[in-house]
Amino acid sequence: MTALMDFFLVFTQPQLFLLVGLGTFAGVYVGAIPGLSVTMAVSILISFTFSWDVYPAISLMIGIYMGGVYGGSRTAILLNIPGAPSAIATALDGYPMAQRGEAGTAIGVTTVMSFIGGFIGIGVLALAAPFVSDFALKFQPRDYMLLAILGILLVGSLSQGSLVKGIFAGALGIAIGAVGRDPLTFTERFTFDLNLLNGGISFIAVMIGMFGVSEALLQLHHVDKDAVRQKISRIVPSLATVKKHLPLSLQTSTIGVIIGALPGTGGDIAALMAYDHAKRVTKNPEVPFGEGAMEGLVAPETANNAAVGGAFIPMMTLGIPGDAVTAIMIGALFIHGLNPGPMLMIEKPDMFWFIVGCLVMANVFMLIFGLTGIKLFTKIVEMPRAVLIPLIMLLSIVGAFAVNNAVTDVYWMLGFGVFGYFMRHYGYPLGPVILGVILSRLLDDNWRRAIISEREELGRFFWGIVTSPLSLTLLVAVILIFVSQTPVWRWGKSKLFKES
Amino acid sequence: MKRILMGAVAAFALTTGMAVAEYPEKEIQGIIQWGAGGSTDTVMRSVTPHAEEILGGTVVMQNMTGAVGAIALNYVADAAADGYTVLMGAENPMLYKIMGLGDKDYSEFTPINILARGTPLLVANNDAPFNTYSEMIAYVKEHPGEVRFGSTGPGGLPSVVTAMVEAVEGDLDVIFVPYDGDGPALTGLQGGAIDVMPAVLGAAIEGVKAGNMKALGLVDVARNANLPDVEVVAEVNDGYNTYLPWGPFFGVFAKNGTPDEVVAKLTAAYAEAAQNADFVALMEGRGFTLMNISGDEAEAFLSKWQQGTAWLLQDAGMTKASPEEFGIARPGE
Repeated sequence: MTALMDFFLVFTQPQLFLLVGLGTFAGVYVGAIPGLSVTMAVSILISFTFSWDVYPAISLMIGIYMGGVYGGSRTAILLNIPGAPSAIATALDGYPMAQRGEAGTAIGVTTVMSFIGGFIGIGVLALAAPFVSDFALKFQPRDYMLLAILGILLVGSLSQGSLVKGIFAGALGIAIGAVGRDPLTFTERFTFDLNLLNGGISFIAVMIGMFGVSEALLQLHHVDKDAVRQKISRIVPSLATVKKHLPLSLQTSTIGVIIGALPGTGGDIAALMAYDHAKRVTKNPEVPFGEGAMEGLVAPETANNAAVGGAFIPMMTLGIPGDAVTAIMIGALFIHGLNPGPMLMIEKPDMFWFIVGCLVMANVFMLIFGLTGIKLFTKIVEMPRAVLIPLIMLLSIVGAFAVNNAVTDVYWMLGFGVFGYFMRHYGYPLGPVILGVILSRLLDDNWRRAIISEREELGRFFWGIVTSPLSLTLLVAVILIFVSQTPVWRWGKSKLFKES
Repeated sequence: MKRILMGAVAAFALTTGMAVAEYPEKEIQGIIQWGAGGSTDTVMRSVTPHAEEILGGTVVMQNMTGAVGAIALNYVADAAADGYTVLMGAENPMLYKIMGLGDKDYSEFTPINILARGTPLLVANNDAPFNTYSEMIAYVKEHPGEVRFGSTGPGGLPSVVTAMVEAVEGDLDVIFVPYDGDGPALTGLQGGAIDVMPAVLGAAIEGVKAGNMKALGLVDVARNANLPDVEVVAEVNDGYNTYLPWGPFFGVFAKNGTPDEVVAKLTAAYAEAAQNADFVALMEGRGFTLMNISGDEAEAFLSKWQQGTAWLLQDAGMTKASPEEFGIARPGE
């Protein structure tokens, strides 16, 4: 009964209600600007809300988090520049839709799907948090390694056209991710004795350059062409559309919750995996993937918003952050005199239900803010290119600087922007580069952790994999996905069908 | 002419005098060496608002991470020594020189306040076949190459604690599994990826209280009120008294050359802020030992800390350069 009251606290107190709304609104716009991340916004809020009560502070942070994860899709669809790494997959099909003048529809679908994904994540958090966190803890270094390999196989889905070029791009990403001091031994890698390379290359800077600047440069080719007129008659997707995609959105939300709940992986990996999943299970999309398939929007958007609820699961049950944002929230709770940890849910269950309540509220606000103001947003793409291109450049520079307040990141961003332009020009996909950068550390660190724990004996390592049900399942998944992308599979399948 | 000159000098003296008297006349930048939500971050963000009230100014805190905190340290070292850019850091810079991570340490800074010190302890997975520090040592000696210890790279707290244990108890034949921070390592510990982890009390206390992991022993000289039943390594082996008490610390630093009046003002503000009841409760609940020291006392603490730790790591063969090269004397010499 008290749980219900704590849950409804945010709905009954106008101040908290407004703060969640304000946070969500701000989050949508912060999230839409590449480089301005939710993590940054929440860490600024920590000092800002220090003197407040804990409830209003948490309301505002949760609003920003929910809104920000969603906001990244806006610029991905409209400008082909993901506002955050978790929106990279959204750009693959969202931008082609905007090019056809269907930006309104695309934004409508992403909003509703984010809402559905968000709710599934919150539902799992509210009903099954202890079970999911127990499951998440079972992941050993070797399982994270297998998960990273599974992620790397996504290169196949992300490289439209030539797979070889996709593999090249992915390998480049992995190499970029390896630059800097190795976090496990502090040994310098690919630093050429340059101090500025010691800290590694900020992958947000790489992302902004590759997507933002290269897009601006590419647009220069068509400066005189008229912008695509956007149809904005139908924004809210019909019930039939939602129903049609419901099975897929449930599957991808599950991917989102689990990947989000794993400490060390977050919405970015979840969204890419969900996109790959959609591509695999959708037999006959109305429009091919990569050319504006609705499924290509449904999958990543449900997954990255479901990952929000997922990330709160280990945070609330164990005091272990599920991602960077929840890591900062743990600090915020601590500053406000609470001791985030496994005892929090037992000693202060009110905090848990209050957070669930805030998430629900933020999710509803996200739907409202997402479906309004689309007209204004779509105007961005209708802007003359002579205005739009300098604007993209400016935002990219501000965004890259904001990551670490370092001019070095701006240079990296510009450099990768020019490089990305030539990559696109010669048909190299950019998605796999970012995928590589994201997965580089996950793969490298966990492979070494796994093999070191087995006294560097390969035999013991493989024995460990085949005797653990979890590792074995992941290994089988890796093998199946790999084989299904090779000619052997097609050959085997055709033979099988002939016989039957 | 002379009169004009005198007037100018007087005016100059007056304005500079006033500028100092009015410190802070603009925002103070507080550069936090570690990321948002971490130990250093939370300590600084908890104490600074109280100091702001006393100072009557604003301190804008900013996280500047990277290169084990060296980026933040260099940033403050390159800023003007006017007290408007202060460093909010942890113990790491004291090891930069010997670990080859940088050429500057806190000797280039004036300690405003060393706020608190963490107590290290050894925690273990609940299924580990030992329950106390002494049982663990016995088990490791009977089962060489079996127990997995978490570590966070050379120079990190686990490496220093392990070096200390090995210096006192002799070499341990265990597997060291590297993690990029104590948070991920403690997560791995709960999932069974590692058996033992040297951690700071604050990071592990909630997990221990909840029964998600067990505390083997505190790396300290006296028992701790937060975990009164947990044995202390110095009780088990006298050899630890050479190195203890030891622990990571958090402090606020101003660049050398900052005007004395400014240093005095900052010091007074932080000294009073560190006594604030809310802050004290927060620190104790989290298992930090309050220090609240400044001036010569802080300088003495820093050099003792650096000597002990640097030579421990040097003897364990983990350093890149000998402490001797930088004039860091062996403790007791």
